[in-house]
Parts: sequence; structure tokens; C-alpha cells
Amino acid sequence: MALKWLDKRLKWVFTLPAVLFVALMMVFPLGYTIRLSFFEWSMSAINPPKWVGLDNYKELLSGERFWHDFGITFYFTFAAVIVQMVLGVLIAVLLNRKGKGKNVAKTIFLMPMVATPIAMGMVWLLIFEPSIGVLNTILKTFGLNPLEWLGSVNQVIPSLIIIDTWQWTPMICLLLLAGLTTLPQDPYESADVDGASAWQKFIYITLPLLRPTILVALMLRMIDALKTFDIIFATTQGGPGSSSETLNIYGYILAFQNFKLGLASSLLVLFFLLVLGMTLGVIWLRKRLEVAS
Amino acid sequence: MKRRGMISGYLFTILTVFVLVVFAFPLVWMLLASFKTQIQMQSTSNFFFFEPTMKNYVQVFQENNFMKYIYNSAVVALGATAGGLLLGLPAAYSIARYRMHGLALTILIARIVPGITFLLPWFILFNNMNLIDSYTALILSHMLVSLPFIIWVMIPFFESLPNEIEEAALIDGSSKAGVFVRIVLPISGPGIITSSLMSIIFSWNNFLFSLVLAGEKTKTLPIALFNFISYSEVNWGGLMAAATVITLPIIIIALFSQRYVISGLSAGAVKG
Amino acid sequence: MMIQTKKWLVLGVSMTLVAGLLAGCGGKSTPNASEGTETASNANQPHKGKKLTVYLGNLPLGNTLKTMIPEFEKETGMKVEFQSFAEDQLSQKLSIQLTTQASVPDVFMLRPPQEAKLFAKNGWVYPLDELARQDADYDFGDFSESATQANVVDDKLIGIPVLLDQTVVYYRKDLLEKAGIAVPKTLDELEEAIKTLHDPKKEVYGFVARGQRSALVTMVAPFLFSEGADFMQGDKATVNTPEAIKGFGRYANWLKNYGPPGVLNMAFPQAWGIFAQGKAAFFIEFSSSYTNGTDKEKSVVADDIGYAVFPTGAAGSKPVSASTWALSINANAADKDAAWQFIKWATSKKMVGTLQKEGNPGVRDSVWNDPESTSAFPAELVEVTLENSKIGIGHDRPQVISVGEAREIIGDIVVKAMLGEDIQAAADKANKDFQALIDKEKLK
Repeated sequence: MALKWLDKRLKWVFTLPAVLFVALMMVFPLGYTIRLSFFEWSMSAINPPKWVGLDNYKELLSGERFWHDFGITFYFTFAAVIVQMVLGVLIAVLLNRKGKGKNVAKTIFLMPMVATPIAMGMVWLLIFEPSIGVLNTILKTFGLNPLEWLGSVNQVIPSLIIIDTWQWTPMICLLLLAGLTTLPQDPYESADVDGASAWQKFIYITLPLLRPTILVALMLRMIDALKTFDIIFATTQGGPGSSSETLNIYGYILAFQNFKLGLASSLLVLFFLLVLGMTLGVIWLRKRLEVAS
Repeated sequence: MKRRGMISGYLFTILTVFVLVVFAFPLVWMLLASFKTQIQMQSTSNFFFFEPTMKNYVQVFQENNFMKYIYNSAVVALGATAGGLLLGLPAAYSIARYRMHGLALTILIARIVPGITFLLPWFILFNNMNLIDSYTALILSHMLVSLPFIIWVMIPFFESLPNEIEEAALIDGSSKAGVFVRIVLPISGPGIITSSLMSIIFSWNNFLFSLVLAGEKTKTLPIALFNFISYSEVNWGGLMAAATVITLPIIIIALFSQRYVISGLSAGAVKG
Repeated sequence: MMIQTKKWLVLGVSMTLVAGLLAGCGGKSTPNASEGTETASNANQPHKGKKLTVYLGNLPLGNTLKTMIPEFEKETGMKVEFQSFAEDQLSQKLSIQLTTQASVPDVFMLRPPQEAKLFAKNGWVYPLDELARQDADYDFGDFSESATQANVVDDKLIGIPVLLDQTVVYYRKDLLEKAGIAVPKTLDELEEAIKTLHDPKKEVYGFVARGQRSALVTMVAPFLFSEGADFMQGDKATVNTPEAIKGFGRYANWLKNYGPPGVLNMAFPQAWGIFAQGKAAFFIEFSSSYTNGTDKEKSVVADDIGYAVFPTGAAGSKPVSASTWALSINANAADKDAAWQFIKWATSKKMVGTLQKEGNPGVRDSVWNDPESTSAFPAELVEVTLENSKIGIGHDRPQVISVGEAREIIGDIVVKAMLGEDIQAAADKANKDFQALIDKEKLK
């Protein structure tokens, strides 16, 4: 009887605990932050927050810095995610081939993601260091010109993208490898009969079948890339000048270096809406593709 | 035809090795650095050949209570992952089968909200409940990171499972919940392991939440890492040794689970 | 508790229930200063059985404090629990805990030039005047004037300085000797020397110092002071005066023309790395980090480092001599007197002497005048330190409430100049922004 009751309501019994948990953990922080975004507050323990209405939002949206950081956030995210998706798909297919040492290869490849970002930020800081770092030494041995990497206004974002790509391409691969295990064998068998090349099979069978997984990987990676914090903070703190300052870094600086919690809260609200919008975009894309096929 | 296959086979192997070398390089750098003095580390000449020192590791284990931090991190990471799976797997299954995409999005919001939003409110909340410096607070906070991830990784996975298996079982008189536990979960091994591994990694490396909610008793590894960065010097050697030590347990877990993913894969193929 | 938290109390209660249901594990405990229930039977140990939580910044002196603490615990019968954090993390954690009026930690370190005004204004710290001056043995007058200055906000003492930071010119004796150059006495001479020794082909750069926007402000400060400029005068921003621009410009030009590649991203660790690897002739940094250069496991030039007083500019030699770290008491600490006992012990003549013997420059004059306590330091550095204490300026960054923001504004002048932008325009803009910040603070 109990099982029958459960079966009828399975849809909700299965989802409710997760939803409830997320809601309980988030309602207070979100409400608190939204409320605080209309106040001015230096975290004082004696003077309560002062109501300023929409002033914080006005200050942010009319300031150069917000839009500058907005641009940097997008530049970084788009470039990083595109590079990582392309590399991720290719490497996943590469690693999915049968062969000796596959497990070891996979494990080695997953390691970048495992290493703590803060520590890896410090590692990359020394690798990238123009005078005492190993990367320029390598470039010089191959007769190439050394670069300034993190110390140059123009090279800093590409350098950070290298770090981010190194660290998170494995995640995309891992998700795709798990997805690859669920692919049916039949289409490949009939393609073999038709004499299709490996490349054709990849384009016409693997990619379309993997699409749901690819889109989820893309979405999860995009959300995290927009919020990238650890590696930027550990390597450049948003510099040189402000050339690698993303919105998330700006939010941290406002909150915990300048102690302007009201302004920081309104930035976090705007940033949240932005990431939400981007996510909805990807979900919309996913639906469109589903309808199209 | 056959020869072309062999050539492309070699090509693929070379390509794989190349990719692995590039991706492993920073970690090799870290590992070597952990056996170097600061001079050797910052010198551009002797990258591979140097006189190794164990001093950095001695520092990590003697001057710091690293075993305790490893234990704390493990409790929190495993706790958060177990909690995430417990709530996440049924939810993902239900969302996949009943196409509840709106609900999935609601849960995803937990991942969209920037991390610093939570810090002050959570401190107030958990402090009121007397839960600062407790595993409970850390596990709950890390679960909020891992749960949406687990759910979203599992949705396409459950969606791609053929419906026929479940239908056959239902005709045999099983309950839906029974089918989920006895049939769906076992063949979802690769997906569950992948998402668990990711969840453990996210929790293992989480810094921001742990900094605010942990205390001396529950201090986790990423926070301990900062012991090596001080106001007037960076102890590069100790830092690299500590970073290596932090990475090891997860790599061991990854190695074991890889094996399981493969066996799960072949099991799945038989059934599918 | 804060007023707005009450509104959420209902939610908090429901959270408790869920938390309890979801995770049955985890011990509940918050360290509490007044946990001890034993009554004070011993007059010498009035705080016996109490527990103190102390948050330290990651400073070498913290390790010494930790090893010495059993002595204090035995003496007073109290228990002390230390937690250490890197400076950004300490500041973040403190702000969150103190704003919610948590009673933990009882004692913490703060960075007075950076945070004293904000901490005082926010009601996070307990005034120490009475405690510090009541005890003749403690001898508060022994602390050097320039060092305590940054710890006084609105005539209230809010922290006891524990570390002395001074601008020092580090140089390579061997390189100067080889080129036949005397140790520069003026900034112009130093510029000549930098130019002469700059040899990028051999990867020896003339000059290295911090180039990161916020980090560089404390290093460019003496360049301003020595030209007769300052960040502000009274309530007026003065970062675009001709003297200030001369100071900023000199620093920027040296780094731009004679600095190593990538200097724009350098904070102290990278800059020390360059100098310790023998890749720079002159280096300007605080004295408290000198072991990065003298430690033979960190530096290839350990035997060749010289130390010089900051050279004179138009207005003489004005290095920084400031206390950058201090110990303070939480305004909501359960027992302020117990907390004070710890600070008193940690900053006593005896402890400061012990710490100084291990290379941690302290701020007690009596200790510096005792030759034994300076045995750890290179003799030349001791001379420079004593001279700096006489001529030094007690602040190294603008003295406002929002120091973090002000540093960004001011550091930008140097960054823009290094990127080849017009320095006058950059300084004018910075001055305007900085003035707006000062005006806004005055209104509060």
C-alpha cells in the first residue's frame, strides 16, 4: 500500500527534498542580499544600514568600472568556454578510443581539476613569471620571443584563459566520457556497413547523440567561468591596473577590501541576474535544438 | 586500408601523449618544486636535475597538523557528496522522466548565485544555531554547491537510458520506486561516479565557505594552504609540498573510480 | 544580534530543524571566552580557567608566540587558542564576525594603517587607553611615537603595535663595487646608478619594486614624502601637486625603463624572487621581509646584499617607519581584562625582545637600544633601522577610512604612467576621485 502511495506521488516525493533544501539554504542569503542592495552599509556593528533606495544601482550602472568589468567578464568567459568545449569534445573522443593505458591516461588528464585552484594559481604565477619562470625559458630554447604573460595588459586575459582551460577542460571531458558510455551501438554498426569514415561518424552520429550532455556541460562550465575567482585572485588580483578585473572580483573587492556591503550587494544582484540570463539563453538554445531535430 | 588504420592509430597515440604531457606539465612542475629549495624553484636552469630536499614535506607534516585537515576535508567532502546524491539522484530521475525542467532551473539557481552572497547571511544563520565550526554547517554549505551539479549531470544521463527496461520491470509488478533503486541506479554507475567525483573535488577545493564557517576544529585543507603565504614571505616550497599532499587523496580516488567506470560501462553495454 | 536578523528568526528556526534532520552528525560548539566556571581562588591568577581565542595574521612572529604560549598559560591559568590567516582572509573573516557582534575572537591582529579607522568607526574594537596606561611595568611610553600614531583613532588607542615596517633600499654590493659606484645618497644619484647597472641582456635589471596597483602605494609613499608631497593635507587631496607627480613619475619611470618584464603584476613575492635570484641591482621594499634575501635557501645573493637609507629628494630623506600590524581586543569580547592579559604578555618588553632576537622588528625603543636583541639582523640593517626611526614618517598610505579604495585610486596614477599615459591627466583624475572619497567620508 505504502509503495502504491509512493508511486502515485513519486514525481514530488523524489524532487521535494532537494527543492526544499535548496530553498531553505538560499532564501535567507538571497533575501538578505537583495534587501541590503538598497542600503549603504560599511558593516558597522553600531550604525545600522542606511536606506538609499536605488542609489547603489545607479552608482554602479553609471560608473565606468562596472561596464569595464562586465566586458572583461564576457571576454574571459566566451573565449575560455569556446576553447574548452572544442578541446573537451576532441580530447574526450581521443581518450574514448580503446587501447592500452587508457585508464592511466584518463586519470592523468583529470588531475588538473583535482589540484586546489589557489595552489595552482601560485604554481602558474611562477611558471608565467617573465624573468624567472619556466615558460619563457622554454620559449627561448625554441628561439621564440619571451612574453610578459600576466604582467601585460594585453596578455593577461589569454594567460588566465590558459590556466582556466588547463584546469577545466578535464571536467568537460569527464562529463562527455560518461555521456559517451550511454550511446547506442546500432548507428555505428550501420554506418560501418555503409563505409563511413571515422570523421563522418563523429560529425553525423557522435555529436548529435551527445548533444544533451554537451549542452549541460557547456551550461555548467559557463556558469562557473562567469564566476571565476580563485585563479584570478591568486595570480593578478584583477591587475595589471584593472585589466583582468571581472565582476566577481569587483564584488569581492567592494565587499571585503572596501567594506561597502550595500554597493557590493547590488553588484551581486546584477551579476546574479546576468548569469541567470545567460543560463536561460543556453536552456532556450537547448529547447530550440530539441524542436529542430 | 589496414595500413591507413595503423598510421592513424599511431597518430592518435602520439596526439594523446602530447595532450597528456601538456596537461600534466604544471603538476609535474609542482611535484618537482615540492622537492626543491626556493632558489632551485626560481632558477631557470636546473629544471629536472637538482638535489632534492625533503624539508618541505617535513614542514607540512611536522609544523602543521595536516593529517587533521585531511580528515576534516574528507568528512566534509564525503558528507556533502553523500547528501548530494541522496537528494539529487531521485530528483534528477524524476525531473528526467517527468520533464520537470522548470524545477531543474530553480535548483540550478543555487549554482548561479555568486558565492560571496552567502558568506555573511550564512554566518549569521549558523552562528544563531551555534553551528559555526561544526561539520554540519560545512557539509550543508558544500551540499549547495554539489547538489545542483549532481542533478544536472544526471538529468541527461537518465534521459538517455532506454525506457524499455523500466517498463518491462513495471509490467512484472515492481513499484516505480523499486525500479529506480533496483534497476535504474545500478546501470547508472558511470554517471553516478562521475558526478560524485566532481562533487568531491568541488568540496575538497572549496575555500570561501570553509573560511567563514570553519574554525580550528573543522579547518579544511584549502584554508591550511594559506599557512604558507605570510605577510612578509611566501614559503613556496612548503606551499608546493602541501598542494601535492592535498592533491594525492583525490587522485587515488579518481584512479579507483576510473576502474569502476570502465566496469560499469561494460555492464551497461551488456544490458543496453 | 543585528536588528534585521530578528526578522529572519522564524526562518532560522525552520533551518535548524532541517539541518538537524538532514545531517545528524557534527558537534556543536562555539569557543567561548567565559567558559571557565572555576572561581578565582588565586589572586595572581584572576582569570584562571578562562579560554581566549586569538586570530593572528600569518607573520613569522606568530610562530614564536605559539611556541611561547605555554609559559603564559601556566602563569595565568588561561587557555589560548590560536588561528592564523593570510592578511586578506583575516580581514574578511574578522569583518564578518565582528559585524555580527560575535564574541569570538577575543583578541585579533589588525593592520592599523589599512584598517584602524574603519574598525574603530564600525565599533569592532575596544579602546585600550586605560588598560595600557594603568600599568607602570608595562611602560607604554616605550613604544616609538611614530608607530603608535596609526593606532590612535579619535584620541582613542585601539591597538598595540607589534611589527615595525620601514622602507629600505636593498642593493647589490658586488655590482656596485664592480662598477665603482658609491651607495647613492640622493634620488638623482640613485637614478644614475640604476641606469648604469641596468643590463637587460645579461638579465640584470636596474630596479625592481612592486608594480601591482594597490600593493605599490606603500612603496611609492617615500618617493612622495621626500619631494615634500603627501597623499592629502587636512581634508584636501594632494596627489596631483607638482611634488607628488615628481614622486609618482620617478617610481613609474624607474620600473618602466629599468624594471624587469611583467613588473605590472608584481607584489612583494615576485619582486623578492627577482632580487633574490640576482636579477636586479636595486630593490625598494619593507625591512620586515629582509630574510627573503639573507636566507641562503631562498637567495643566491645572500652575501652580497647591502642596505641603505632612503635617498634624499628635494625635501630630504623621508622613509616610511610605521607599525603595520597591531593586536586589538574585540569590542564584544566576554572579558576584556582577560584579553588584555594576553596582549600585555605578547607586547611586554621581554616578549618583544625575544621576538626581535628571532628577526621580527618590534616597536619598543628600549629593545632596539639593547644590542643583544638586534643580533639576528645584519649590522647594516640595524643602522638603517635606527636612522629610519629618527627621520621616518609614521604612515605609508592615505589616512582615510576607506584605505582600500584610496589605494586603488592612487595606485592607478603609477600604473597609468607605466603604461605610457599622461601622468598629469592621470593624477588630476585620481585627485578628483580621491577628493570625492574624502568629502564623502567627512559627511558621515
